[in-house]
Amino acid sequence: MTRGMLTYIGQRLLLIAFTVLVVSFVVFLGIHSLPGNTFVNERVRGASLALLLHEYGLDRPVLVQYWDFISHAVQGNFGVSIVNRGEAITPIVLRELSVSAELGGAALLLTIGMGVTFGVIAALRQNTWVDYSLTTFAIIGYSVPSFVIASLGVLIFGVWLFDVTGGAFYYPLTWDGTYGTVVELTVPAVALGLFTSSLVARITRASMLDVIHQDYVRTARAKGVKNRVVVVRHALRNALIPVTSVLGPLIISIITGSVVIENIFGIPGLGKEFINSILSHDYNVTVAVFTMYALLVGVANLAVDLTYTVIDPRIRY
Amino acid sequence: MTQPVLEVRDLSTHFFTDDGEVKAVRGVSFEVMPGETVGIVGESGCGKSVTAMSLLGLVQRPGKVVHGEIMFKGQDLLKLNKEELRNIRGRDIAMIFQDPLSSLNPVLRIGFQIDEAMRSHDKIPKDDISQRGIDLLKQVRVPDAVHRIKDFPHQFSGGMRQRAMIAMGLSNKPDLLIADEPTTALDVTVQAQILELLRDLNEQTGAAIILITHNLGIVAGLCRRVLVMYAGEIVEEGPVEQIFESPQHPYTWSLLRSVPRIDSNRQDRLLSIEGLPPDLIDLPVGCKFNPRCPFRIERCFNEPPVIENVADAQRAACWVTMTRAYDEMNAATITDTSPGAASGVHPRGRRPAADLTPAATAETLSD
Amino acid sequence: MAVVAAPRADQEFASSTLVREQASLWRDGLRRLRRNRLALISAVYLILLGLVAIVALFWTPYPTSAIGVAQIYSGPSGSHLLGADELGRDLLSRLMAGAQISLSVGLLSAAIVLGIGVVVGLTAGYFRGWVDGIISTVINIFYGIPALLVALLMVTVLGRSFTNVVIAISATVWMDVARLVRGQTLSLREREYVEAARASGARSGKILFGHILPNALGPIIVAVTFVIPSAILFEAFLSYLGVGIPPPTPTWGAIASEGVQALRLSPHILLFPSIALSLTLLAFNFLGDGLRDAFDPRQKR
Repeated sequence: MTRGMLTYIGQRLLLIAFTVLVVSFVVFLGIHSLPGNTFVNERVRGASLALLLHEYGLDRPVLVQYWDFISHAVQGNFGVSIVNRGEAITPIVLRELSVSAELGGAALLLTIGMGVTFGVIAALRQNTWVDYSLTTFAIIGYSVPSFVIASLGVLIFGVWLFDVTGGAFYYPLTWDGTYGTVVELTVPAVALGLFTSSLVARITRASMLDVIHQDYVRTARAKGVKNRVVVVRHALRNALIPVTSVLGPLIISIITGSVVIENIFGIPGLGKEFINSILSHDYNVTVAVFTMYALLVGVANLAVDLTYTVIDPRIRY
Repeated sequence: MTQPVLEVRDLSTHFFTDDGEVKAVRGVSFEVMPGETVGIVGESGCGKSVTAMSLLGLVQRPGKVVHGEIMFKGQDLLKLNKEELRNIRGRDIAMIFQDPLSSLNPVLRIGFQIDEAMRSHDKIPKDDISQRGIDLLKQVRVPDAVHRIKDFPHQFSGGMRQRAMIAMGLSNKPDLLIADEPTTALDVTVQAQILELLRDLNEQTGAAIILITHNLGIVAGLCRRVLVMYAGEIVEEGPVEQIFESPQHPYTWSLLRSVPRIDSNRQDRLLSIEGLPPDLIDLPVGCKFNPRCPFRIERCFNEPPVIENVADAQRAACWVTMTRAYDEMNAATITDTSPGAASGVHPRGRRPAADLTPAATAETLSD
Repeated sequence: MAVVAAPRADQEFASSTLVREQASLWRDGLRRLRRNRLALISAVYLILLGLVAIVALFWTPYPTSAIGVAQIYSGPSGSHLLGADELGRDLLSRLMAGAQISLSVGLLSAAIVLGIGVVVGLTAGYFRGWVDGIISTVINIFYGIPALLVALLMVTVLGRSFTNVVIAISATVWMDVARLVRGQTLSLREREYVEAARASGARSGKILFGHILPNALGPIIVAVTFVIPSAILFEAFLSYLGVGIPPPTPTWGAIASEGVQALRLSPHILLFPSIALSLTLLAFNFLGDGLRDAFDPRQKR
């Protein structure tokens, strides 16, 4: 690793820290400017309300509250939940992060595996029925919203085929902290990854078609390199460069999608917590989860950009 | 008498496009002796590159070799299956291309790409491959080869990339090297270096070279024999000095007249060839050069000329030939090279200007 | 005198060839579009959907929010073509009204995004320097955060309403168009006819809106076409999660969400809005692809 590379990573980490700070600040201010408060649903009034607000430090100026939040957050302490009185947020969020990461990871694998494979096949069989069906499938895949696919998944596998599946992908209501099994993950991961894999398939196809007519592919053939090696080593490796460039947006899309998927399938991850916290006005949790998301996206984008240097030697930071 | 290393008989390659059948190469025949250097010259689109690609079975859809024989060391390359042909490519017949930047894979190291050529075949023992890669790079005069072999193509200059391509081509000690416009993308000074390198390598390794170019000067610098192609056919062939001295086909004559020469006397004015090459879908009847030829006669519009001996070791496909044009049409002094200008022959119902328009324009093709 | 006249002649020449060039570009584009059958079918579908939305303004088979016009959870029947929901409301009427919501959200957001994108992109691309630096950084920051989740928070903070949903969506998807306009401006400002206009002393505004913008129009239209389905998707997504336009407004996302609750009993409540939504998104995507092939040939594969 070169010195320039380390400097670059350092700069990027600083930028991530800055972005996370700004995002958490804006979200914090926004959420605290909401009319009413967390206890509005609990019919607490007068002195007891003042006492509650005081207990959670909610009667202080908002900037003081933010300072309190962020100075603890950088030490890894997101404070306590207001709805579930006094429960520490950090351990919950971390546990939920691992659940979400598992689902998101599965969807990402599916996205890249399925997307690249179908894209390559479609390109190699250009203008045949294989190409046409894969292309059409991809357009449908990125037009049908993930929540529709997920709902249909629930309908088909959870209702119509209940006798066969036993509703395998439902997480028990009282989650015991174990990870989902392959069976449990399949339907949610497909629902989550279908949109992104359609996108990857489209990009891979287009970029394979472009690359396959490049001079260096002809050179490889002229050298007598085996066809399979030409396709994988010479064509695909170059075709993956544009695919890598959309990995960042893809990861964001998967994170976004996970919010709805987790809610539909009742998967106890960050996304479910995010919506729950908004609906129940548990604002400390909302801010914590969103800060987590900003951090996640920043790190993922950095990882993608570093992958770029591995896959394309012309790029140096 | 030695056997030719390559013998091409009546080769035709067509492209089956939506607009029609593009007859890019038609009935091309020639041979290459071991260690010989042969140039193929012609304007862009005359079929010289397609001929080269056909030799190695590299013509991609919608193109297809429709007819002919390519005899290489006693076997017909067109009758081989994919795997057998792959084993000839890069091993016995190597090819280098015009643009050395786009022809090298940008994401693989130079050394890897050279080694890959050897690893794809079993000619070079596995243990020798990495050392031979460095030796080859030294042989094509890349400075600091030991270190540069780990570079990526973008770290090489244009000339060095072409050297690396040549090293790759030579790695399996081929019998024949096909160089398709190897110097076109390079600076003039680098061009000269690459040509000198090719000449030296031809002497050192004994590999025959087919040099494809639109530049007659490059042919003169490297080749012993030259084939002139026009509209998918060979119109003239012979030893380089002889062709340069007394071209017999009007096309060759015009080509030579359009190149500035230091040794020419003042009266030889630079003349350009008027008009465009014919549309390869809808070819003219008779001689394919007749729409542009200043020396055409009636026969040129009716019968396609057959290539035949016009002098010792020199053949041309022309009903007139330049000897007759000099004798009867004052070819030495003409200044007007428009179609039929020297012979005064214009076909019925056609104005001279109509000859200059290509038969099919983009407009008529798109419908 | 001659010195003054020359550039003006240049400019006239430049703009007249420009007009001709554009005219033929548009004609070619329309011809290419007519050949694209999927894009045409999509356009027809979308026009029909638009008509349905307009009709729904004045007439629906039953009042959209009238409870108990049908038996609750009843499936499709002669009097209720698409059945009824958990409160006995007529589903067809609600879907018709939903089309109106989806299309207005899509079109309004696209219009706002077009406005933001053009202003921001032209500014960044034309003035370059530190202006471009700041704008590009902001664009990159926006690209670095999950847009949909920001929209979700915005709606929560601003309050759940149609207007706020449109604002939140526009505020989070404007970057594509802005970046495109910026790129187009950067390359177009170096063209000869722009140079000629500048040499003749044309004002910045005239150059931007008279020369640069018309030439960037093709790609911009294509990009804006793709904003419409994302806006519709965002809206459906928010409604589905229960944080979008509040009930009883019948949005497709909200109806689908109600359908999930009644999945076992009457899956048609989920299926019909899902189909309507998917077909609409599909049509916009096909149309966008068709427009891109027709009017942005450089992107064509």
